[in-house]
Amino acid sequence: MGHLIAAEFFKLRKRMMTWVLGLLLVALVVLLYSIVWSISSRTGSFLEEGQRIPYEQLRRGLFLETGVPFALQIVAQFGTLLAIILAAGAVGSEYAWGTVRLMATASSGRLRLLTARLIVVCGFVAMGALLAALVAMLYSTVITATNGGVDFSFVTRAFVYDQVLAYGRTLFVVAPYVALAFGAAIAGRSTLAGVGAGIGVAFLEPLISGLMRLGGEPWKSMPNYLIDANRDVILLQNEIPAGLPNFGPSARALRERGVHSPAEAAMILLVYMAVFLAVGFILYRRRDITAGGGG
Amino acid sequence: MDRRVGFVSQGREILRTEGLWKQYGRITAVADMHLQVFDGEVYSFLGPNGSGKSTTVGMVLGLVRPTRGRALVFGDDMATHPWPALRRIGAVIETPAFYPYLSGYDNLRALAMSLGDIPDARIGEMLELVGLHERGRDPYKTYSLGMKQRLGIASTLLRDPELIILDEPTNGLDPAGTREVRELIPRLAREGRSVFLCSHLLHEVQAVSDRVGIVKKGRMVAQGTVAELLGRGQYLRLKAEDNDALVGALAGVPWVTAVDRIDGFVRAAAPVAKSAELNMALASRGIYVSELSPWEVELESVFLELTGEAVDA
Repeated sequence: MGHLIAAEFFKLRKRMMTWVLGLLLVALVVLLYSIVWSISSRTGSFLEEGQRIPYEQLRRGLFLETGVPFALQIVAQFGTLLAIILAAGAVGSEYAWGTVRLMATASSGRLRLLTARLIVVCGFVAMGALLAALVAMLYSTVITATNGGVDFSFVTRAFVYDQVLAYGRTLFVVAPYVALAFGAAIAGRSTLAGVGAGIGVAFLEPLISGLMRLGGEPWKSMPNYLIDANRDVILLQNEIPAGLPNFGPSARALRERGVHSPAEAAMILLVYMAVFLAVGFILYRRRDITAGGGG
Repeated sequence: MDRRVGFVSQGREILRTEGLWKQYGRITAVADMHLQVFDGEVYSFLGPNGSGKSTTVGMVLGLVRPTRGRALVFGDDMATHPWPALRRIGAVIETPAFYPYLSGYDNLRALAMSLGDIPDARIGEMLELVGLHERGRDPYKTYSLGMKQRLGIASTLLRDPELIILDEPTNGLDPAGTREVRELIPRLAREGRSVFLCSHLLHEVQAVSDRVGIVKKGRMVAQGTVAELLGRGQYLRLKAEDNDALVGALAGVPWVTAVDRIDGFVRAAAPVAKSAELNMALASRGIYVSELSPWEVELESVFLELTGEAVDA
């Protein structure tokens, strides 16, 4: 299994797409930080959910002490799209190039091969999230230094634990989309199928959920069983400083929707992941692998 | 004429298919396929486009599940437990397919890593063997079809396999490359490997094969050694001033089992070893032949006769 993981890592590492996606994520973090930093230069305050928040507070949200959860929020929202492309491309391209047959005869089992590929994709997603967090920390250091100097007294054991937990939660909410893209690319034997399914669900689910909530029961409570609502529940545990954009519904909005507890939400997301991966693995194991990228 | 011959034990059996059958809905891709490949032999698998060659190879490699029957390689059922056997097989199926963004070297490296236990030095050796060492670091997407074929052959040899499956290995190669591959195939067999070759170049096949199987519409229509398939030693070619009288005289010879006319010649089904005896018999009947020689048949003629189709393009 180790040599299969090494081979899959080698192939994905050498692929330009992997680096382009990583650079895009870094660029997004830098861009959003720059926008927020620029806005926070204003004097006065702005209104958010009925609360008046001074721009000064918005700037403090970018300081090293509170910067990481914001960066992880960017990863969860925008990084998910990039992770979908990475996962779908890792499987779908094999069909397009016809290398699916080469690898199927060169590995020590179809399921082992697919498992190795999934592990490597997840590894790259984790590294991407870490890279984004590191870039954010670097940027936060610059912002903090230019606004009164860096003071690391806040770095306690509890602080580090919170950051690691936030990182873990972020990866956890990205994982169902990765699993969906992975499974759909296998089912559709193409990158497009994986990207289409992943991004389609990521974009359409909030819209469909909104429509469902307008109706009465049973429609109203259905969105609480979809990926999006449960992802929001988990992400809300990564506390974003007041004023910083969190790209998702507020705690109050989620309470009004009657969403599940974080533990229940995690269970629901795990079920989704299991189903998507099971479909992909079963299809890959049972189906014929034939010519011209088919199979 | 039934050219099908029974299985002849020629050593250790490497590959065996037993009533292999593949159905896609109402379409039968492969029907009741029986074939064997023995240790150290070159077995050529011929058939027109869509005759089921690649589907059969797919089932032999465990990529395609048979509807019925089974393919055994080194004794392992390839539908249920292909992995031990796959480690002993090198295969290029149809056109070689590699990662376009990787170089030739890195493609072999990725393959070697997947297989495990293959030293990096072996990659260089294989690139050298197929003449790609100078272009080994260039991206695969810049390779010509011939170079891709060479890399495909290098990839099959990477794991030092006992059974090599080559599907159209000379496709896209220039004459020099074709000659190299033609020389490489018997060399591989001499080294103790078995080669399962799918090719449309019948001259090549005739030159390098020990045994040949011809398929049509998913069914094996002929199988045997090249000599058996060509009926070598079984037919005589005759010509006389009066071919009608010659045919009549041949009909009176008891060990001449069949007579027909082809392109101004008379073909007699009779052992070549009895040529002199036949000449005497004809002379005693007042027939003096101007030509008497073994009837040389090309594999292409046999192929066309059996399949009724031109060779694969």
